[in-house]
Amino acid sequence: MENFSKLLSVDYLKIYARSMLISLMTTVLCVLIGYPFAYVIARTKSKSRQLLYMLVIIPFWTNSLIRIYGWRSFLGNSGWLVKALQYLHIIQEPVDFLYKTGTTVLGMVYCFVPFMVLPLYTAIEKLDGSLLEASSDLGARPFHTLFEVILPLTSSGIFSGCIMVFIPCLGYFFVSNILGGGNTDMIGNLIERQFKSANNWPLGAALSIILILLTLLLVKLYQKLGGDMENLGV
Amino acid sequence: MKKKLIAALMVLSLTAMSIVGCGGSEEAAVSEGKGELNLFVWTEYLPDSVVEKFEEETGIKVNVSTYSSNEDMLAKVKSETAGAYDVLQPSDYMVAQLISQGMLAELDFEKLPNFSHIGESYKDPSYDPGNKYSVPYMGGAGAIAVNTDKVDSEIKSYADLFDPSLEGDIVVLDDFRAVIGMTSKALGYDLNETDPAKLEEVSAKLMELKKNVALYDSDSPKSALISGDCSAGMIWSAEIAMAMEEVPSIEVVYPEEGAYLFFDNWVVTKDSPNYDNAMTWINFIMDPENMAMVLEEFPYLCANTDAIEIMGDEYSTNPAKNPPADAIAKGSYVENLSSDTLDVYNEMWTKLKE
Repeated sequence: MENFSKLLSVDYLKIYARSMLISLMTTVLCVLIGYPFAYVIARTKSKSRQLLYMLVIIPFWTNSLIRIYGWRSFLGNSGWLVKALQYLHIIQEPVDFLYKTGTTVLGMVYCFVPFMVLPLYTAIEKLDGSLLEASSDLGARPFHTLFEVILPLTSSGIFSGCIMVFIPCLGYFFVSNILGGGNTDMIGNLIERQFKSANNWPLGAALSIILILLTLLLVKLYQKLGGDMENLGV
Repeated sequence: MKKKLIAALMVLSLTAMSIVGCGGSEEAAVSEGKGELNLFVWTEYLPDSVVEKFEEETGIKVNVSTYSSNEDMLAKVKSETAGAYDVLQPSDYMVAQLISQGMLAELDFEKLPNFSHIGESYKDPSYDPGNKYSVPYMGGAGAIAVNTDKVDSEIKSYADLFDPSLEGDIVVLDDFRAVIGMTSKALGYDLNETDPAKLEEVSAKLMELKKNVALYDSDSPKSALISGDCSAGMIWSAEIAMAMEEVPSIEVVYPEEGAYLFFDNWVVTKDSPNYDNAMTWINFIMDPENMAMVLEEFPYLCANTDAIEIMGDEYSTNPAKNPPADAIAKGSYVENLSSDTLDVYNEMWTKLKE
């Protein structure tokens, strides 16, 4: 019980708030990147669709830790990005890309985009093409069709994608350790530390319970909004 | 149909991930006639070539697992089933803690004739009087590395690392005792400060450090210095030696305040099922020639004076590899703290990282 009261200290609340913020940014970016991507995959002809689909899946076959280390050497001071920008005379001095909150978000987005694309793809695939035709026949401009027809019809996909990105994102600790330089803790880092270096298992357990409650809350919310559990892959 | 395909692909990718994850432990089950030995050691601290040589000579199958902080190691040993690890490599204060928790087996020195190669000054340490449970391996200091091409100001002490000109440019160990200890030292306090009023000041001082630190890394802090991502830092002395070999403009500085020192030791767990193999290993690693193989790759401060002789001048005159005697004399070791003080340390660390 004492451990639960500790959870309300300002320090932990700050870390919670930041984790939420980072996860939220990641989720929004994943939707923005993932949606057009999923739309294109779902709307292309079957042959190249398989290929595009595979391109989303294949990076999964490499351990995400290794891929994140790859980003570290790519973004570093002597990495390719800085070299390319210097070659193009966009920058003169090396710029520090690494070890910032933005870098953490980048790594997260990179890790989680496939989790967004897959449910979106299923949702968009189910979308009936004739509805789009009907919409344009009735005089709606493409812009209107997007917001009034396509988005509402695929909202369950967007929502399940968001859940599949937001929740694991809260618990991911190694991305912020490697790309964020360990400067900004997320809930995951905090929990990891209680179990390892701080050796305070009760507090770590209390912190995990909060994370689980949060997850349950979001899933309940999803069901309330009429989401289908099957779309979550559970 | 599509859905099935998606499901199949997901299962496939999950299986692929789990296979990657399990690879190591499958092999561990295989044992040969001479039995096996489970080592649990620091990352980047024991070359594979030495382990292979041991396997060839003795026919004992060695399984190596690694950790990157003493606390991680303790947590892992406690959570695993008894006897999962035979030999550990704890630092000074952790040896004392393991002894006080009754987790270690006494060593049988009749089976360790190579103990004679250990320098007299390294025997009978304060954390294990009479070497009942441990023999020293290697150590070093949390020294300062400076890339003189990139840093204009002169850096002589831990306090200089708090200089605003180094904003976002230093790497420190991801170790709360090292970083908090260094900050206490910079303020002129003890490495193991316990006075609450002084710790308040240390906590405020840490906020200054926070602006300067780009990266917390204990596994391979040299990489950020070599790649140029960081220009200075407080890291293991031998890591500085390795960085100096790659980038000549990097220098090692032993802080004026006295450095944070550590010494790692070989110990055997109480429930070790392979006690005899553990003795064979410890005796093997104290052989000067084998120890020299270790130093070739990881040039830390070494307790084995005969191995240092084999290494010659290149090792013994390099201040990053073989820290000068006065730096060692001035430095101090991390000590065990009461759990109340440790809680304060942990809160400070959380504040630093939030």
